[in-house]
Amino acid sequence: MDSPHDDPRQNGDSTHNHVPKKPKLSPFISEPEIRDEFSHHQPGIARLNNGSFGSCPRSILAAQQKWQLQFLQQPDDFYYNHLRNAILQSRTLIKNLINAEDVDEVSLVDNATTAAAIVLQQIGWGFAEGKFNKGDAVVMLHCAYDAVKKSSKAYVTRAGGSVIEVQLPFPVNSNEEIIVQFRKGLEKGKANGRKVRLAMIDHITALPSVVVPVAELVKICREEGVDQVFVDAAHAMGNVRVDVEEIGADFYVSNLHKWFFCPPAVAFLYCRKSNLSSELHHPVVSHEYGNGLPIESSWIGTRDYSSQLVVPSALEFVNRFEGGIEGIMKKNHDAVVKMGEMLAKSWGTNLGSPPDMCASMIMVGLPS
Amino acid sequence: MSSLLLRKWTSQCYPEVFKALIFSCLSLSEILGRIRPIHSTLSHGDFLLPPPPSPSPSPSPSLQTLTHLPSMASHHHHHPQEDPEPNGATINNNHHHIPKKPKLTPFISDSEICSEFAHHDLGTARINNGSFGCCPGSIIAAQRDWQLQYLKQPDHFYFNCLRTGILRSRTIIKDLINAEHVDEVSLVDNATTAAAIILQQIGWAFAEGRFQKGDAVVMLHYAYGAVKKSIEAYVSRAGGYVIEVQLPFPLSSNDEIVNEFRKALERGKRNGRRVRLAVIDHITSMPCVVIPVKELVKICREEAVDQVFVDAAHAIGCTDVDMKEIGADFYTSNLHKWFFCPPSVAFLYCRKLASTHSDLHHPVVSHEYGNGLAIESGWIGTRDYSAQLVVPSVMEFIDRFEGGIEGIKKRNHDAVVEMGEMLVNAWGTNLGCPPDMCASMIMVGLPGCLGISSDLDCLKLRTHLRESFRVEVPIYYRAPKDGEEIGSVSGYARISHQVYNTVDDYYRFRDAINQLVHDGFTCALLP
Repeated sequence: MDSPHDDPRQNGDSTHNHVPKKPKLSPFISEPEIRDEFSHHQPGIARLNNGSFGSCPRSILAAQQKWQLQFLQQPDDFYYNHLRNAILQSRTLIKNLINAEDVDEVSLVDNATTAAAIVLQQIGWGFAEGKFNKGDAVVMLHCAYDAVKKSSKAYVTRAGGSVIEVQLPFPVNSNEEIIVQFRKGLEKGKANGRKVRLAMIDHITALPSVVVPVAELVKICREEGVDQVFVDAAHAMGNVRVDVEEIGADFYVSNLHKWFFCPPAVAFLYCRKSNLSSELHHPVVSHEYGNGLPIESSWIGTRDYSSQLVVPSALEFVNRFEGGIEGIMKKNHDAVVKMGEMLAKSWGTNLGSPPDMCASMIMVGLPS
Repeated sequence: MSSLLLRKWTSQCYPEVFKALIFSCLSLSEILGRIRPIHSTLSHGDFLLPPPPSPSPSPSPSLQTLTHLPSMASHHHHHPQEDPEPNGATINNNHHHIPKKPKLTPFISDSEICSEFAHHDLGTARINNGSFGCCPGSIIAAQRDWQLQYLKQPDHFYFNCLRTGILRSRTIIKDLINAEHVDEVSLVDNATTAAAIILQQIGWAFAEGRFQKGDAVVMLHYAYGAVKKSIEAYVSRAGGYVIEVQLPFPLSSNDEIVNEFRKALERGKRNGRRVRLAVIDHITSMPCVVIPVKELVKICREEAVDQVFVDAAHAIGCTDVDMKEIGADFYTSNLHKWFFCPPSVAFLYCRKLASTHSDLHHPVVSHEYGNGLAIESGWIGTRDYSAQLVVPSVMEFIDRFEGGIEGIKKRNHDAVVEMGEMLVNAWGTNLGCPPDMCASMIMVGLPGCLGISSDLDCLKLRTHLRESFRVEVPIYYRAPKDGEEIGSVSGYARISHQVYNTVDDYYRFRDAINQLVHDGFTCALLP
């Protein structure tokens, strides 16, 4: 968007949509427009850490404020007449984006941390109610996100389950290295006649960050009789292609505020339709308890649900880019690899993984 | 002369003036829909950077553009020296407006209150503050400042600002509620979350064999729906036995509550069971009454109830909240209902001396697991924590009112009682409880001829009132007891009074019901 200062007609009034001075040569978002969308970011900081907290463009923040205002204006009317439909609209868009079969498989929650608690609490009940034998295993990567590790402690270890960690090799050179370690981890999980009740696999690990060959690992889990597979894909949406049918996991979560331009915070939790799905509950229980996880998650008491409501706006934003989200993913990947190689060369160090094992983030060795 | 009587006088003796003032208020809402002043804190559309944070408690610039409009008859005091100005005057200039006359009082004025809540749908008689609360414009602006600060540089915010901001809010709450130590105060989203925290701990105790299957949890029959389900999800599921205290309604004294509570505790202790937890509302939701919690907690201690959890979702800003006085193990209250915080934030107080203090966990587990509930709740993954950070701004807002929160509580109480009595007189019905058993909300009987005969009727009637009369008020179905005459009151409206309410809100409700009665309306007629 052209800055309002450029046009004397504007009178310094930036409140209404103004007409750009020059005809756009391209239907796509321009560089100055991108800068404007992120003009609220702190100037003077080289912000190379989108992975931690994500980012949200101004036009989506504006859309969010509109929703917030609508609630504040007449909250009862909003609750009774608008909220649920708006959440359903967001869920439906996500369902299409991730190739889920049914919108009932898609719940919106705050973040991947919440999704992990939902999946793990269910495992905890399995132990507490005697469905699982004490000592049955949950397998996860040793570099799983710390919140997920603690959640395993809180719900699995505490309830009598064993937690097995798979060592992810790092630096890593190929998918095969990961697969080999994973098989070993499953074997350990099944030792002494134990059952592996849950495998938790990161789609893109946090630190160190690599893209894990999840579809292949899920296949191995099925072959090895693992009860359930949960893919923690906090980073995935907007970073790599997400096709839940192809990946084949029982549960799959990704944050939308990291790489999909939503405001803090919203994530989708996909739960494959099966008998197990009905046992999942949001830990914050409201009057919607028992109506299915998507409905339970859509009302967990009075709160600001606006970040769940702007998914349509996020999609509109993404489609202003050439190639939409695919285009963004490709450009980010190419750029981060190029910059990673530039840095490693400059410092005489190395990358943590080959370029094809990374998406929009890459690990760059620092000088020793 | 009381402010409300003055209002009544104005409306009755000068109805045309009254209507004109109301009309100007309504057309203001239309005008607001079309204009977007530069520094409006509440504009939508383009995401505008809010004005730099200002330490002064004066209203933000956008709100000042509204203060020159006539002192709305909608608020308590009429300032005779303020001349009414033409509707819509000077709204299209974007410069900061300086009020023409000096303020005669250090306290917030009626027009400032009107400005603070100008984002409310001014065409609706909003007499349901109890459900979703409210948040003034200056607090929303403060919240946006925090949100922006985070978005600017989230890593820096996380590492350097968030925790101290939350600690500051917790410290203020600790002082407000007379808790012993700030470690006892956690901030969570809402009372629903607090209930899940307390009940999940009970569930673990059953699962881990510390409680026997069949040990009891006692709750009020009028416990909030979410709390009942939470008890089902964490207590019944884990093998606990749930006892409901049947409370009569209408109520005429605390004794009725105390007697039923004692009876329920007796049932709880039958067959050698232990009562592991009593869940007691401080102010029930529907029907709404103030419960004598201090007395009930004392009874729980006498009767060897393990732990007492007071669900005081409504209490802070509505009634007195003193942890040492009440003596419960756990106590939660929403700050977005009656304490002007944005949606949503609640405090959960957990007495340090409670045996399970260290066993409480937020169900959404983060890397902070094991560092104490307050720290765990301070980080449950990437989220917008701004509602938890504006508590200092809320204290500033409240201190603009005469008597601070005590003054607000008292005026709300007096007003809601006055309005409740006005309505029951107008309709020939009765209140649901004596005035001293209510705070800022009161249950008002609806005429029996409306034919309210189910919960569904209540919802439908509420929708009808919203859509056809622009009145927002929740309705409670009170099934007739044996021996009661047909056609007696079977529905009660829960009216609230908060600082933004005007006497016209209640007159509109009065007239709407009178209209329905006059038209021979019954709920059976609703689709």
